[in-house]
Amino acid sequence: MCCAGCEMVANLIHDAGLERYYDFRDALPERPEAIEISRENYLAWDREAVLCHYTKTDCNDISSVSLVLENIHCSACSWLIQRFIGTLPGVQEISVDIADGRALIKWDKRQTPLGDIAYRLAQLGYPPHLDSPEASADRNQVERRLMLKRMVVAGLGMMQVMSYALAGYIGAFQDIDEQTARFFQLVSMLVAVPVSLYAGQGFFRSAWNTLKHRRLGMDVPVALALLVALSASIFITLFGSGETYFDSVVMFIFFLLVGRYAVMVTRQNAGQLHSALARSLPNQVTRVLNGKTQEVGLIELEVGDYVEVGLGETIPADGQVVEGEASVDEALLSGESKPRERHPGDFVLAGTQLTRGRIVLEIEKIGQDTALSEVVRLLDRARHFKPRAALMADQIAGWFIAFVLVGAITAGWVWWQVSPSHALPIMLSVLVVSCPCALALGTPVALASAARGFGRLGLLINHPDSLEVLPKVTHVILDKTGTLTLSQMALVRCLAPNHEEISEHHFGAIAGRLERVSRHPIATAFRSLDDGGGVQDAEEIVHQGVQGTIDGRKYYLGKPEFIANQLGVAAQPPNASAWLALADEEGLLAWFELDNPTRAGARDLIATLQRKNLTVWIASGDQEAPVQALATQLGIDHFQSQCSPEQKLLLVQELQRQGGCVAMIGDGINDAPVLAGADVSLTLAEGADIARTQADVVMTGSTLESASWAFVLAPKVRNVIQQNLLWAISYNALAFPLAALGLVPPWAAAIGMSASSLLVVMNGRRAGQITNHRHTPGSPAPAKAQNSPLAALTVGTINLSTTSNGSKLL
Amino acid sequence: MNIIYVLIPLSILLMVLAVVFFFWAVRNGQFDDLDTPALDVLDDDQPPIRSMNSNDES
Repeated sequence: MCCAGCEMVANLIHDAGLERYYDFRDALPERPEAIEISRENYLAWDREAVLCHYTKTDCNDISSVSLVLENIHCSACSWLIQRFIGTLPGVQEISVDIADGRALIKWDKRQTPLGDIAYRLAQLGYPPHLDSPEASADRNQVERRLMLKRMVVAGLGMMQVMSYALAGYIGAFQDIDEQTARFFQLVSMLVAVPVSLYAGQGFFRSAWNTLKHRRLGMDVPVALALLVALSASIFITLFGSGETYFDSVVMFIFFLLVGRYAVMVTRQNAGQLHSALARSLPNQVTRVLNGKTQEVGLIELEVGDYVEVGLGETIPADGQVVEGEASVDEALLSGESKPRERHPGDFVLAGTQLTRGRIVLEIEKIGQDTALSEVVRLLDRARHFKPRAALMADQIAGWFIAFVLVGAITAGWVWWQVSPSHALPIMLSVLVVSCPCALALGTPVALASAARGFGRLGLLINHPDSLEVLPKVTHVILDKTGTLTLSQMALVRCLAPNHEEISEHHFGAIAGRLERVSRHPIATAFRSLDDGGGVQDAEEIVHQGVQGTIDGRKYYLGKPEFIANQLGVAAQPPNASAWLALADEEGLLAWFELDNPTRAGARDLIATLQRKNLTVWIASGDQEAPVQALATQLGIDHFQSQCSPEQKLLLVQELQRQGGCVAMIGDGINDAPVLAGADVSLTLAEGADIARTQADVVMTGSTLESASWAFVLAPKVRNVIQQNLLWAISYNALAFPLAALGLVPPWAAAIGMSASSLLVVMNGRRAGQITNHRHTPGSPAPAKAQNSPLAALTVGTINLSTTSNGSKLL
Repeated sequence: MNIIYVLIPLSILLMVLAVVFFFWAVRNGQFDDLDTPALDVLDDDQPPIRSMNSNDES
């Protein structure tokens, strides 16, 4: 026992009957720091505000929280925590991720306060921290620095050992004397042993961890090859004579580390996006209480609080504006680059920024319930999911490792019979050259990179298998209103009473003035035509129209029936579309045709889909005329109008019966059953809707561009994964027999295997790249994609850091 | 050839020094951000006034 703390932990472990910890642990825990741990340190964790901010409570009152734990080394730690914390009353589930030191706890907070759990964890020697984006950024940094150090040590060590080895090789031709040769061997050992033990510790650890769980990881053959080569070389150097493999060992470690470093960078980059989003909330907010303002921490906010947000500040929580007016930049969540006007009664979202004015808002959703949190959660999930392809690759890799181990031993045994001096190098070559690293790394790297690419385009993957289904799609069904078109109305054309087309200039201006009083969505269609002139006695007649006096003349604008009533004459609209009539006391002046304008990117989407030979359908609840018009305009052959959601579902099922794989792009809230029935579903969601949609793929933003990208990128991701698997399998199939026949020396095996994994990693990174090639949807797309708000966050990390500095400085 | 008995230990010493120096650099965050410093030279803005404000606040 090194200190009182250890003794306490030992007693704690003993009292709880957990002595088996000592069987499991494979690394000595850090010495406990001298800080006294007391229950008081975690009192704050029981406060409602903290719980609200960091935990999510489901309908059964079970809360879940993600904690970052210090000192997590190995599976013994995980085992101990699970046994020890899992037995506390009310704890339903605890899972510890050894890889990133995070623990997910589901528990009933009425039975055990979070503070108790935290205190117990600290007592065990794993001080917990609430999982903030900073915590994961810190962990990323630690991981990156560790990898860098190991890589450079391995690299420098490799150069040294290889120069000594070279001396030996050249010396063989130039009669090196016995003493010098031996000196070089000794020096090689002196350098290679500490270097490989330090730089290769990650492989030894992870191999040991997987073996302990009675599994075979990809590091098992690596660690075995390293250990066999090292110990044999040490034995030869000290007691025998013959060839040593120090140079091959260190080189192998270095190349492996380069590959792993590339994997780590890809994985961390994929994560950066979500931490950047999560960091966008302010830490300090101005709370308004009884007319007085007070600066409080973000986590102290509660639902129902009033918060003041000024110019340039970020809105801390979802809520309703109660006072003041402002322009709000919602680019982060909705993809809308123009700031939106927000008035009292309007809803504003956490993470959006005020570009003008100041508002007071009443908070409705905080912490984990906000739309921003949902986006972060989806991005996070996309990073960790494992679709079937990845699981399959893992399984193959598992069997393959067993095959390699058996094969290496067999080859070694056979060569021992034939020529004992060749047995060791051949066994090493087999182990090294056919390590299934490429097989095991290829898919995860491609997926991590894809998750990043999709995230940058504003595509959030909700369901892991959707990436596999998307390339198989044969039919695409699109909803009309709200998906292919905007929900707001816009003016299409203006006709004279005799149905002749006329310029909307003059009458549009009159209509614009009249509609100023109206709060109906139709009024927005005329807003741009308003010439700012005067209007008197303007009045809105609900569900009918508006009336008012301009320059002494009385005008009416509204539905045909409304005009007919006012004038006492029949007003017959030109066709079945939506028409508004403008009239004065004497008679009809003009007809305005209104329609939902086509959403940006719709045409590109249809073109992309048709180029891929997919059958495109429109299924809409609208009247036939506007649906047909839109179908003709976009060049879509198949459409169904006046569909209820049930009928849309029937259409989906009919197409599926014909053997089609159906993708449904629709409105996530009204079309939910149809979306669920399709093989893969995509919805366009802005702002608060992101949290409510249940589609497989959620497209943030206001254009359909990202949908085109989904159909272009998903096959690419699948191709990259297939290429990687194919390469890995064929490389191994070729290299294994060559090595077993003794045609590959150990150093060449190390180069070949590492080159193969590097190739796979580089190819995998391609999966998420948004390149401008022939099949991209529309030529301006890549530029637009760069403008996407999520892209701005990742591409412009510099941007982000300057703004965050900026806000600190202000 | 006896010189190698001096030079090779010396090379090992140099390697150890290089490793120590590199570890120091990593610990000091020299390798944390490899993208931003390259773009810093393009930034003409001079921020002295702002930095004074920040001093006030911190």
